[in-house]
Amino acid sequence: MSTVTVILSAIALYLVAGIIFTIIFQLKGLSKIDEGVHGSSWGFRIIIIPGCIVFWTILLRKWIKANKEIINPPKEHA
Amino acid sequence: MGASYLAVGWNRQKKIYDWLIFGFCVLYLATFVVLTAIFNPDYTFETVLIRATSTLAVIILHVILSIGPLTRINKKFLPLLYNRRHLGVTMFCIILVHGSFSILQFHSLGNENPFVSLFTSNTHFGSLADFPFQALGFFALIIFFLMAITSHDFWLHNLSPKVWKTLHMFVYLAYFLVVMHVMLGVIQYETNPVFIIIMLTGSFTLITLHLIAGTREVKKDNVIYKLKQDGYVLVCDIKDIQEDRAKMFCVDAERIAVYKTGGKLFAVNNVCKHQNGPLGEGKVIDGCITCPWHGYQYLPQNGQSPPPFKEKVSTYDVKIEGTHVWLNPKAYAEGTERPGAVISVVNAE
Ligand code: HEM
Ligand code: FES
Repeated sequence: MSTVTVILSAIALYLVAGIIFTIIFQLKGLSKIDEGVHGSSWGFRIIIIPGCIVFWTILLRKWIKANKEIINPPKEHA
Repeated sequence: MGASYLAVGWNRQKKIYDWLIFGFCVLYLATFVVLTAIFNPDYTFETVLIRATSTLAVIILHVILSIGPLTRINKKFLPLLYNRRHLGVTMFCIILVHGSFSILQFHSLGNENPFVSLFTSNTHFGSLADFPFQALGFFALIIFFLMAITSHDFWLHNLSPKVWKTLHMFVYLAYFLVVMHVMLGVIQYETNPVFIIIMLTGSFTLITLHLIAGTREVKKDNVIYKLKQDGYVLVCDIKDIQEDRAKMFCVDAERIAVYKTGGKLFAVNNVCKHQNGPLGEGKVIDGCITCPWHGYQYLPQNGQSPPPFKEKVSTYDVKIEGTHVWLNPKAYAEGTERPGAVISVVNAE
């Protein structure tokens, strides 16, 4: 396999993982990481799909962080 | 604003603007197809589509890149800024057709994967006359793609404004790639210099506009305020500021907008929390300082967006002596309430 093929296959794999992530994220994660999502339309959810597929690693990190905060809420400043 | 992604509201003017963009694109493409059918009837439909979309996208790209400096030079252009993102996404959709059809036409007939073929069919990277110009177009297309898919405010918040801004600054790299894609491509298959002339004129115009806007900005930032008193500097006269408008001053590297509204002067940081828009070029609407770029709002007395929004900018002290306006460039924490300076009838005269 040429270098080009290897790079393109790696990108394709990353994007397939992104598609799987996006399906689960749209169902469960989206409203946890960003409170602005409450009350927004279907159009909004569709518009952000391509971005979710590409930037899924960033969203996953945010999602994990949001989950931790639900279990151990950060200490309030007095 | 920050509350829910119903966000930057729709209004009639923006809808008209979107329809104008759409109408222009359809008209352009139709004219291009008809003219080619008359003057070059032997061209295939694919070739016509490739050329019609590429030239249209390049025109829109020049418009997009001119809007920034034009609004700095003259406020009349501000309405264009409102939907610059729609223009960007439109451009991406159009150029996607160009890219896809080029790959279909030039790379999908062999048994190699078209994307692999795009990079391996021509590897004369050392040759100017035979350079693989399509790869340049491909990378430009990737940048436009990333910008288009992150154009919603959701991404501004979730990638962080800093990352988002950086990503969208790559438009200048993409522009450079497009220029090279066209220049190096055209010399390979066209003898007609019209593409090169159009591209050079476009680039020259863009560079000039950016230089003019840039030097104006630098001039404003470099004004030195000589008269100082207890941390305050003398910035202007009361009548230099119109009612419900502001003037921007750059003092000690802080950009501050001084607003006149309801018989008082208030000072807030000039930089909008949304995308660094110039608050000092906005106006007071419904009692709120309204950003000229996308309409984020802040209360003049405390720099806070009215609930349910959560954005806050820094505030500053202003005072009036006689008819002179004095400004203290020391910033209060974002959202701190300040009393402002009352304009008495005597001052105003
Ligand atoms: C995957 C990405 C791209 C590929 C494979 C590609 C391919 C090509 C090809 C094969 C041509 C010569 C077409 C002909 O024979 O008429 C061309 C020309 C051109 N391309 Fe691209 N291109 C890509 C991206 C872009 C982008 C992003 C832009 C600008 C926004 C652009 C603007 C142009 C222009 C203005 C021309 C000259 C006019 C024309 O002949 O169509 N291209 N491109
Ligand atoms: S509203 Fe977008 S920059 Fe101010």
